[in-house]
Amino acid sequence: MTSTLVPAPRRTATPGHPPKSVRWRGPLIAWLFLAPALLLFLYFKFIPMFVGLWKSLFKVQTFLGDEWVGFQNYQTIISDSEFGAAIWHSIVLALGTTIGSIVLGLGLALLIEGPARYLWFVRTAAFLPVVTTMAAVAEVWRIMFHPADSGMLNIVIGWAGVDPQPWLASENSSLWSIMLMSIWRGTPYDMMIFLAGLVGVDRTLYEAAAVDGASTWRRLRHITLPALRPVFWILFTLAAIRGLRVFVEVYVLTNGGPNGSSEVLMTLIYKLGFQKNELGVASAGGIVLFLATLVLTVVVQALRKRQAS
Amino acid sequence: MSRRLLGVAIMTTLAVGLTGCGSGGSSSSDNTLEIWIRQAPDSDSAKTAKKLADAFTKASGVPTKVVALFDDFETKLNQQAAQKDLPDIVINDTAQLGNMVSQGWLAPVDKAALKGGDQLAETAWKAATGADGKIYAAPFSAQSFALIVRKDWREKVGMEPPATWEDLTKLAVAFTEKDPDGNGQKDTAGFVAPAGTKRGYASWYASSLIYANGGDFITSAGGGKYAASVNDPKTVEAVQYLQDQFCKTKTVNPGAVSNDTTVTHEVFEKGQGGIYLVGPYVLARFVNSIGTDKIEVLPVPKGPSGGPGTLGEGENVYLMAGSQNQDAQKKFAEFAISPEGQKIGMNKDANGAIVRLPVNSTVDMSAERQDPRWKVFQESYAHAVYAPPVPNWAPIRQTSADTINAVWADCTADVKTAMDELNTKLTQELQSQKAS
Repeated sequence: MTSTLVPAPRRTATPGHPPKSVRWRGPLIAWLFLAPALLLFLYFKFIPMFVGLWKSLFKVQTFLGDEWVGFQNYQTIISDSEFGAAIWHSIVLALGTTIGSIVLGLGLALLIEGPARYLWFVRTAAFLPVVTTMAAVAEVWRIMFHPADSGMLNIVIGWAGVDPQPWLASENSSLWSIMLMSIWRGTPYDMMIFLAGLVGVDRTLYEAAAVDGASTWRRLRHITLPALRPVFWILFTLAAIRGLRVFVEVYVLTNGGPNGSSEVLMTLIYKLGFQKNELGVASAGGIVLFLATLVLTVVVQALRKRQAS
Repeated sequence: MSRRLLGVAIMTTLAVGLTGCGSGGSSSSDNTLEIWIRQAPDSDSAKTAKKLADAFTKASGVPTKVVALFDDFETKLNQQAAQKDLPDIVINDTAQLGNMVSQGWLAPVDKAALKGGDQLAETAWKAATGADGKIYAAPFSAQSFALIVRKDWREKVGMEPPATWEDLTKLAVAFTEKDPDGNGQKDTAGFVAPAGTKRGYASWYASSLIYANGGDFITSAGGGKYAASVNDPKTVEAVQYLQDQFCKTKTVNPGAVSNDTTVTHEVFEKGQGGIYLVGPYVLARFVNSIGTDKIEVLPVPKGPSGGPGTLGEGENVYLMAGSQNQDAQKKFAEFAISPEGQKIGMNKDANGAIVRLPVNSTVDMSAERQDPRWKVFQESYAHAVYAPPVPNWAPIRQTSADTINAVWADCTADVKTAMDELNTKLTQELQSQKAS
């Protein structure tokens, strides 16, 4: 193929300017379509975020009027020993949930990929956990985690001869139990993204590899996985953000206990804000969490860009 | 560049428009008295509150609107406070008084000017007094704590009502090991306990045993000052007693360390445990769901080093700051503490009592309620201990719940060491509240 020596004429380079109204119409329509969503975001997301940032510098007393304390709230939260533990628990939970969901999601996607007619049913069924409200899911799992012999999960593991486990009731297993539930819920979401990614893999590559006598494993390793690289980056970014701000599952299942063993950043911030009524310190915690998420996202994006180039 | 400018212009226009809409909202300037109560919407208790408000309207001509909210009650109050639009009346726990005073949400109450105020129990007035000695509420309901026990189980294992803590342990062990429900499986526990940390439950549950042993969390140092005393041997002994139940005799229902009261009520109703140390507010519910002949109420036995005592609590009628209906607020408070108001709130023997024990001394409880089990709670109230009027009790309860939950969840934890650490934390908290 030869490249053309004459550059294609640019649209804006056409002689004479189009009428002003035409020039503005495109972006105007685009912005008007975006406006409702942006408006909602502005009012329910961005303004509260800035208010949160502002309040983190005050001792918040909703009725008496706030008292300026500068960075004291940040000092309080960062020097709090529970804050360090909560960060660690959040990271462990985020990592475990991310890796577990991605591995299982990929496995499931590979198993149910294809055009067969019955697969739509399997996919829909597998996707159900994602569309169920987290609070409802957590409540059901709380019942399944019942730590006595009669608990559902203990009966199931009993069939394999495993002793009953305390699940949420022990500080050694509470975080892992929450992770188990989160993986169960996160896997189908990852599976759907993988399925979408798998559709884009060039089929002729598989055929060529088959002709060359490549095994299934080699095809997976050298064709599928490299083709799915962009999907992995998306999932890593989404999962990292989701993992850091995990709240409902922990709040419903353990509320951070027992003995603070499953306390994550969001439950700690919630406790500070609404149970101890230290709204300023809680706001500072929220800002620290926001910064951590921002840094993480930027790092992941930078890594992705470097690898892409 | 011009496109970006266009975007910014549109966003600004929309934002200005929306903010304008927000601030121009309707303000409630009518004379309807808005009453918030911390009860689940549509629950029996919420219906009783509505009955009370309707009777008040009938007697005074003041229209009312009852809002029943249970989850995150204080959070929603915070939101209202941020908008400077608090409800006129709030019926909430006595333990929330300090919290609400420190936020400036409450209007002081003139005890002498409150009609019928002289008929109220002095203990109840104490629970309406802030750290500064001013009264911030009208006492409305009182409660003490007692043991709700499966009578059928106790008779099956052939044991007498416990008179000491040792007896209590023996009863719990029997409930755990002797298959009191007779289903051939070892699936029952002695105690059921809300030992999680939500709303400070672990501390709330332990309080009755701590007071029953003569212990305390903090003690008055005079002049409105307090000192932490949670590492006092009597307090440590009570927490240790409960740790032994969790760890040595293993007589507490599985999973208790992560449970709140909502879950614990269900655990008791499902017959997974037989002894529930709780307030009288669930008595009618359990009588309905388990059966009246299967339930008995027993006082908390005196501890080996002190007592008797149980946690004292209740609800106050709070007159909220910034109300346009101050006269109606006062009238409602007077109606709520009057014999008529108290009787409506008691709801006889039925489920949904918002007045657990009447605070008005002219109300004869046994004339209103036929069930003799209420009497146990009434008698226990004589030695009930209220949370002291520190500026804010909420962080003290939450911090102590975290520690107490930790020693019950971790059987290797040393109770004395943990309580020493808690004592330091409570001392710091009192310092930050300028109460030490």
